[in-house]
Amino acid sequence: MKAPDFSYYEAETLSDAIKFKSQDDEAIILAGGQSLLPALNMRLSSPSCLIDISKLKDLNDIRLEDNSIYIGALATHTQVMESSIIIEKFPSLVSILKMVAHAAIRNKGTHGGSISYGDPAAELPAFAVAMNAEIIVSGLNGNRSIAAEDFYLGLFETDIKSDEILIGINYPLVKNNEKIVFEEICRRHGDYAMAGLIAKVKTYQSTIEKLKLVFFATGDRPNVTSKTSEIVVNNGYEYSVIKKSLSSEIDFAGDLNSSEEMKLHLATILISKILKKLEN
Amino acid sequence: MDDIKVNQNPKLGSFDRPNSYIGRSLPRENAKKHLEGGGQFVDDLVLPRMVNVAFLRSPFAHAQIVSINFEEAKECPGIIDIFTANEIDEICKPWVGTLGHLGEMKSPEQTPLAKSVARWQGEAIAVVIAKTREQAEDALELIEVEWLEKEAQVDMETALNDDAVIIHEELGSNLFWTRTVEQGNVENAFKEAETVVETTLDFARHTGVTLESRGIVADWNKAEEKMTVYHNGQAPHMMQHIIAKHFNVNEGLVRIVSRDVGGSFGIKVHVYPDEMAAVAVSKKIGRPVKFIADRLESFTTDIHARCHKISGKLAVDKDGKITAMEVNDLSGIGPFSMYPRTSAIETNQVLNLSGAPYVIPNYKAIGTVVFQNKTPMCQYRAVGHPIAVAITEALIDKAAMKIGLSLAKIRKINFIPDNSYPNKTPSGVPLEDLSHQASMDKLLSIMDIDNIENLNKDDLIPGTISGIGVISMSEVTNPSPLFYGVGGAHISSQDGASIRLEGSGAVHLSSSITEQGQGTEAIMKQIAADQLGVSMDTVRVTLGDTDATPYGGGTWASRGAGIGGEAVLKAARTLKTNILNIAAAIMQTDIDSLDIANNNVIRKNGEEGISLQKLAEIVYYRGHEIPKGTNPELLATASFLIEGVPFVFTNSAMGCHVSIDQDTGIVKINKFWVVEDCGTQINPKLVEEQIRGGVIQGIGGALFEECVYDNQGNMQNATMADYLVPMAYEMPDIIVDHVTTNSGRSIIGAKGAGEAGTGGAPAVLMNAINNALAKVDAEVTSQPITPEKILRSMNKI
Repeated sequence: MKAPDFSYYEAETLSDAIKFKSQDDEAIILAGGQSLLPALNMRLSSPSCLIDISKLKDLNDIRLEDNSIYIGALATHTQVMESSIIIEKFPSLVSILKMVAHAAIRNKGTHGGSISYGDPAAELPAFAVAMNAEIIVSGLNGNRSIAAEDFYLGLFETDIKSDEILIGINYPLVKNNEKIVFEEICRRHGDYAMAGLIAKVKTYQSTIEKLKLVFFATGDRPNVTSKTSEIVVNNGYEYSVIKKSLSSEIDFAGDLNSSEEMKLHLATILISKILKKLEN
Repeated sequence: MDDIKVNQNPKLGSFDRPNSYIGRSLPRENAKKHLEGGGQFVDDLVLPRMVNVAFLRSPFAHAQIVSINFEEAKECPGIIDIFTANEIDEICKPWVGTLGHLGEMKSPEQTPLAKSVARWQGEAIAVVIAKTREQAEDALELIEVEWLEKEAQVDMETALNDDAVIIHEELGSNLFWTRTVEQGNVENAFKEAETVVETTLDFARHTGVTLESRGIVADWNKAEEKMTVYHNGQAPHMMQHIIAKHFNVNEGLVRIVSRDVGGSFGIKVHVYPDEMAAVAVSKKIGRPVKFIADRLESFTTDIHARCHKISGKLAVDKDGKITAMEVNDLSGIGPFSMYPRTSAIETNQVLNLSGAPYVIPNYKAIGTVVFQNKTPMCQYRAVGHPIAVAITEALIDKAAMKIGLSLAKIRKINFIPDNSYPNKTPSGVPLEDLSHQASMDKLLSIMDIDNIENLNKDDLIPGTISGIGVISMSEVTNPSPLFYGVGGAHISSQDGASIRLEGSGAVHLSSSITEQGQGTEAIMKQIAADQLGVSMDTVRVTLGDTDATPYGGGTWASRGAGIGGEAVLKAARTLKTNILNIAAAIMQTDIDSLDIANNNVIRKNGEEGISLQKLAEIVYYRGHEIPKGTNPELLATASFLIEGVPFVFTNSAMGCHVSIDQDTGIVKINKFWVVEDCGTQINPKLVEEQIRGGVIQGIGGALFEECVYDNQGNMQNATMADYLVPMAYEMPDIIVDHVTTNSGRSIIGAKGAGEAGTGGAPAVLMNAINNALAKVDAEVTSQPITPEKILRSMNKI
């Protein structure tokens, strides 16, 4: 469990990092290293070069803009959780991040790292999709903004091109009649979930007007289930109906801790849990 | 000393005398060292000219090695050499993991590196020697092996079928060992039984997951023909014998050093092929060689444990009295029986311990142990106990439910009475000094069992059910020569201690017991200081070095306090007598008028005495001042072994309360209670650490831990992210209490306390979960009890 040889480049500016990356297809960006370094040590990954961007100061900004919140790619999970802007405007993100691994990992792991790694079992990609976030990448031809829902192409596969680096995420503010509700079911605290759900709910006079459901740890990417949302909004929750709908909308992939059937069942249960939360 | 508990052993002297340390929760001194990162582990060791090794390991569960080509690998930077079995077998004699006292065992010869066939995924076939481990791993990637993959015998349940893959042709079958124990007339008893209950339980493989992985530095000194091995093992003298024997070195010239060890749990008491290969490399190239298992190697080469399927039935009469019990256990141990303890002992314990707390006049137990193409399986903490306790206690709960008795009542009716010892287990193993009745009574009282329904208020939450479990168990500790020695293994059942007063008045103690984090060093110091009459800071302890400590067994099977502690007690008492004899001669008085307290020889009548420092100065530097003919020995050595019985048993009673989310299958342990009777507690806080830590490991086996294999024999979850050990968040509140029945086999009266938690927790958890599931007509019988298994039992998925 020792990493294979690689060269190491500590980028001083973003443009240097982009230039370097565009010249070397096999180079990988190193930010917090919480997924990359174990993969290197297990020799699951053998990049030619690690481009360390962790020293790029202007990439860890968290700021309130007119209609959105911007989180810089290098903001660590701990920084995000402790940011007064996030605590005030996005309390749901704080409670989600509490379920991301453990304190030591959250101290090093970055927001952009989690979004760009695209682990289908991770919370943040699903959160970005649920929030209709804009993912901002920077490349040789300047910046490009991608809707989160279009960003995830498959298992660990994203729309980042080889000369691009993710620099930040823009989250639209949650409106007064909107709520973000989150639930996940894990075997151990801090583990990747067996199934998880982030819901964005628009209410009108305490009835649900619009519902966006984004599941994680269910398939090969964050799974958006619009038909199931419609059923819930129009007809309410009925276990067998919802289960049937989810099974047609998500291509469930089992893992060591839960089979496809288990994930389908838990996904169905998650919706009822979220609805209960909304009632309270 | 915030948690002072009075020892209840009159043989140890009054508790209110000075330097009375036995029975007190003193802080352990070596905790500070570890907290500051100042421990010295094998991987911290760097010797001049030292090289590192990495192993080429089989990617297949069963495959023939057609050819190996390492020409390119040998050209890598830093590579010193690459060896296969051909080179290593010249240096190291093969071994066979069998013992002679338990009937016929058939296991093949094993060598450090597989010769032509690899028989589990992870078995080493070549060793790369390099300046650094990184360089060795780089070279590994360039070795070309032509494999011929063979069909693997993965499933233990089909290992004896006619169409099974025979793993060792020369043995003719995959049967390693089988044994049947029978007392009374079981067949007849079941025929005449009024009520019979049956069940079959499955236990998945799991492993020990020590914080510090296995490691070894072997240093062959050709000039002295001396082999020094720094090893994070549990039994240095056993390793000394084994290395001498297999590497043809004079045993007196083998030195094993086991300093700080980061957890062992029985994982580190076996002989591992890769460690033997590292020793062979050192002898072959004449340089120090380091091997540190990485976490992947730990998961696929550290011994696994459990892997049992056990069926049982129990007959009770109309009053709930047990009339007969029968169990039939199958276990899969991988392709080799481990050396030198064999992989039979877990099953043997199942046969010995099923039904152990109860009077069962007719008892039969059959054990069958088979080979398979998985990582070798062997003895891990609470060997066999979880299986024996779970099958017994599951059957008793079933019987209770069937005839309408409470969980406590049916046990009380059937316990071997506390006043009936010496007695025997249903399997015929001698028992002494146990307290199942008193321990259960205490458990029920601390659980407040009559008001336990208050805890079941979770039942009122929609979708939640709750349940309770109570169990009793007997725990094998302090083994005698009848455990391994009688079977031909060179594993000492004695332990020794040597204690001396030094010129400064300091006391030095060395013991053959070893420390792996449980606090043995601390309790040895407490016993020595207590029995000698000196302050704790006067005593320095040396452990884990065959050149510096007395000969002995080491730390395993909960033998440190009861056997090693007794040796320290005896040595300290002899030293005290020697000191008082000298003092009496110097002070011209009678030895009976003197005592030692607070580092001074004192006169019982209160007149002035002499400090140990002054006495030592006289003896060592001005010996002419001592009257002629006085024995000037300020040192003493003693040994101790258990005689007359195979083991000193401990007993405990446990209870737990769980809630289950019927939607998710998640189990929440609301509270856990343990009453342990381990005789004299040297340091109650350390005893409770043993019990709590053991319970957590038991929870691991019951709910989380599993070495998951696919049907080709590939381990699927060999990382700490995928193999689930319970973490702080999963640990419940564990209430520990005690009943004290001292062992009559020693003065100190201590019995072992290390196995109970791990041995009993899986049973009590399973019973509590099934107690809850019974409310919805469901039942689980397979461990680990995962959320998915619970939901499937309820037909939710």
